[in-house]
Amino acid sequence: MLPIVDNWYFQLGVLLLLTGVIAWLLFTANTTIQHYWRGSASLVDLINLELPQTQCGQCGHAGCLPYARAISQGEAINKCPPGGITTIHRLARLLNEVDQTVDPAHGRPASPKLAFIREAECIGCTKCIQACPVDAILGAPKLMHTVIARECTGCDLCVAPCPVDCIDIIDAPTPVAYWSQAC
Amino acid sequence: MQFQPRSTSQVMLMVVLATIPAIAINTWFFGIGTLLNIFLAIAVGMAVEASSLSIRKLPVAENLRDNSLLVSALLLGIAMPPGSPWWLTTLGVLFAIGIGKHAFGGLGQNIFNPAMAGYLFLLLAFPLRMTAWHLPEAAIDPAAGISPLSLGSLGQSLRFLYAGESVVDGMAMATPLIESKLASQSAVLEAIDTDLNIFARTAETGWELTNWAYLFGGLFLLFIGIISWHIPVAVIATVLLTSLLFYSPGGASVVGTPYLHLFGSATMIGAFFIATDPVTAATSKPARILYGIIIGVCIYAIRVWGSYLDSIAIAVLFGNFCAPILDHYVRPRIFGRGRTRATHSASGSG
Amino acid sequence: MLSHRVRRSLKFGGITPPSNKAATLRSRIMPMPLPARLLLPLQQYREQPAQPCVNVGDRVLKYQLIARGTGASGLNLHAPSSGTITAIDLEVDFFIKGRTQTAIELQTDGEDSALPLSGMEEIEAFEAEQIITCVEEAGVCGMGGAGFPSATKLRACLNQEMEYLLINAAECEPYISCDEALLRERASTVVRGAEVIQRACQARQVKIVIESDKADAIAALREALQASTITLCLVSPRYPAGEERQLLRAATGIEISREQLPTDVNCLVFNAGTAAAIYAAVIEGRPCISRIVSLSGAPLQTPKNFEALIGTPISHLLALCGIDERVHVDTFIGGSMMGMYLPATSLPICKTTNSVVATDNVQFPLPDNELACIRCGYCADACPENLLPQQLLQFSRSRAFEQATDHGLDDCIECGACAYVCPSKIPLVHYYRAAKEEIAAETANKRQGEQRKQRFQYWQYRRKLQQEARQQERADTGKTASLAETNAEEPFSREKARADIAAAVARVKQKREKKD
Repeated sequence: MLPIVDNWYFQLGVLLLLTGVIAWLLFTANTTIQHYWRGSASLVDLINLELPQTQCGQCGHAGCLPYARAISQGEAINKCPPGGITTIHRLARLLNEVDQTVDPAHGRPASPKLAFIREAECIGCTKCIQACPVDAILGAPKLMHTVIARECTGCDLCVAPCPVDCIDIIDAPTPVAYWSQAC
Repeated sequence: MQFQPRSTSQVMLMVVLATIPAIAINTWFFGIGTLLNIFLAIAVGMAVEASSLSIRKLPVAENLRDNSLLVSALLLGIAMPPGSPWWLTTLGVLFAIGIGKHAFGGLGQNIFNPAMAGYLFLLLAFPLRMTAWHLPEAAIDPAAGISPLSLGSLGQSLRFLYAGESVVDGMAMATPLIESKLASQSAVLEAIDTDLNIFARTAETGWELTNWAYLFGGLFLLFIGIISWHIPVAVIATVLLTSLLFYSPGGASVVGTPYLHLFGSATMIGAFFIATDPVTAATSKPARILYGIIIGVCIYAIRVWGSYLDSIAIAVLFGNFCAPILDHYVRPRIFGRGRTRATHSASGSG
Repeated sequence: MLSHRVRRSLKFGGITPPSNKAATLRSRIMPMPLPARLLLPLQQYREQPAQPCVNVGDRVLKYQLIARGTGASGLNLHAPSSGTITAIDLEVDFFIKGRTQTAIELQTDGEDSALPLSGMEEIEAFEAEQIITCVEEAGVCGMGGAGFPSATKLRACLNQEMEYLLINAAECEPYISCDEALLRERASTVVRGAEVIQRACQARQVKIVIESDKADAIAALREALQASTITLCLVSPRYPAGEERQLLRAATGIEISREQLPTDVNCLVFNAGTAAAIYAAVIEGRPCISRIVSLSGAPLQTPKNFEALIGTPISHLLALCGIDERVHVDTFIGGSMMGMYLPATSLPICKTTNSVVATDNVQFPLPDNELACIRCGYCADACPENLLPQQLLQFSRSRAFEQATDHGLDDCIECGACAYVCPSKIPLVHYYRAAKEEIAAETANKRQGEQRKQRFQYWQYRRKLQQEARQQERADTGKTASLAETNAEEPFSREKARADIAAAVARVKQKREKKD
């Protein structure tokens, strides 16, 4: 056998090399370590990224970021109906928690919705415009109001303020681009 | 007739067919010990597989038809020392198929080669029994002139199978690798030199010819496209190169000639049949080459500097350990990435 | 100039399935008897649908413009035969089950009276822009399957120095033989079409790329290329050799990524059928109203290639081939690797429909049950993009989409070579499509979420500014908060709001009565 193998410096070097290789493998293959090492996003931001940003308040918090903050402090992850099980699944993977269904006390997950103003009945009071958290309603006092469909999240917050009850929540039409050819 | 690409059951069947010449040669020289092990392994394997599948609530007949069990049980049967008692093989198959395959999720989901996992389990639990070959008298002493395939020898082989603690007749013997011929040349060449028929049992060419038969079986699989060349070539080349590197004829410690390492042991079957098990090997071509190199290094190192007689099982299992890491880091270049021409920015358009 | 060397068509992988083209190539291209009615879909490419410029009841002649393309990539639509327009917004079946598309219905009168045509005889006298306008007017689009408007493609590279112009005649997919038939009988139209395109894009080298086993077509091309500077490039017959990026690499050695276009590296690729259509549009002045369609499949008594008019219902063509409905199971358009099953045979032929195959139970048996993946790696051997399909399958099934994208799921061209060789009969492409769609939906949701978050943050910011401004105002003027302002800061209640409005309405009424 080669005599160098008996040299203890060589043996030490090999040991250190192996330790280094294993440490590098553990580090680069483990995504949680990578997240924290990069330090670019705090946990709250990471959680907020998974939430659908409808800002509807069904979780009991005034918007998605307050709910993300609450989750980072231990709140249950199953309070978001617009996110549905997809969001819960992603949050569970991020936070090492168990997969759950949406808490029925906070609503039932449904297909994407849109608000629709029946313009014939609208009185131009701007109460819905003030209520919309993403400025998806176009209008001015005593002038026609209408919902910008592309910006509307279906959060339902405009329905209650309307004094003449002229806002409907309808199913958002699925575009042809999302038809699954795999079916 | 529409051309049908190969099905899984056809692939597995081809692998089984490729081992038949080697098994035949083995039987010719050493008696039916290995054959008995193989049949027992397959029979017990079918039972274990069928019960595992029904426990997992899967259709039994359909999944048995894909012949994957045949290959695993065959390899384990080949690996078991001839003359092992029946319960040893049964235990091995139980572990290999029940735990090594189905506990991990069944076909396609196991991390470790089931046959090798079963073999290693037996090796660790019953070291003495796993390192002792019990051959009929005829095979151990070829000069006596009795054929290992004679009725007497058949009877002896069967008795080993059902033997209890006592071993009647026959002798305990290790594989030819550890035999006295560590530093000798090829027995086949010797036989040819002395004008002996290489198939004569007195020529002691049995194990060597078995390995050549495995080589030809492996080349057959390569030729018909069942396996790809990356793993076998990597394993064999690595074993060859390391054995050349450390070979010192007439040195104080005899590590064996390169020829011995390739043809005097189980390297051929390991390279072509065991390491190429697709479920447990690495996936992409460059990863497979590295996988073969790792296995080759382990085969040589454990064989020469380790305390086991032959290291194929351990080496392959170590390779299985490394396969996921290799898959993660070693990926082939995707067409269109890495060696492309950059977008030409034309003036004012595009 | 002739080339004898056969280039390797694919750098990685590829398969050689039986081509099943002999049946349709036994006879010449057949002209098609007029159907009773033609359905002309308005949505031809992904952009806006074309706008009809005729009305119901109008009598139109062959080649007359009936719908004008809108937007930057619009496509014009012309009447394929003479007749009467009976509807301009008819809802007909779409290839997506349950959905419809809008089409113009034309009842043919059998006379086939045509508008007089006038094309450019000598293209040397014309500038590139004029040629492109001609192509645009004729509504020519990519006949290879993508259907991109050719004029838009040409116009986009007007200011570029084109190195290569490639004519894609490598029809690699089984069952499709329309380009081969076209080349066999009308090679000169393709060659002259290539010359027209060369004039329009000023390409330095022009090559016609064809698979080496198409002997008749090669012979016809050699004859047509005798007096031309265009070269013939032979590639080995493998599927998918005809894919644009693979073809580009085979003919020119340039590799581009999935996001790039050939024009990014100063190359232009046109299908052979498109070249012939451009020739017709520019030289003869004939708009795009027909294309060659291969009709094959065991239920057909006489499979053949037809010169079919755009808008012909597929059932008409199937009947012309003598379809045996007793064995006919299903119909798909395209080839057997990437074709799409049709929900009904009443669908019309479009400019991109290159082949229709009628299936039966023998040639297209029900797929076997899917077994577990044994990670044999045959799929990786077959993948032309050198991906790892077994890994992509694992990630798609376990919904590990980041890892799937990392392993190159976006680079998958969905050619089906992997699924073809899989011994466990796993429908790999279906898994990848499902994963890609989920990823696309997730990406879109993420983008939408980001936008909503920004609008929400701006809304909060604006309210904060308004409140601060109000408080500042109160502090400055010493005024107490007005009734409305304190109301806005109270928790909202519908009854209160209604009461407020009723009160306001009552006040207004009072004022008015007071005035009168």
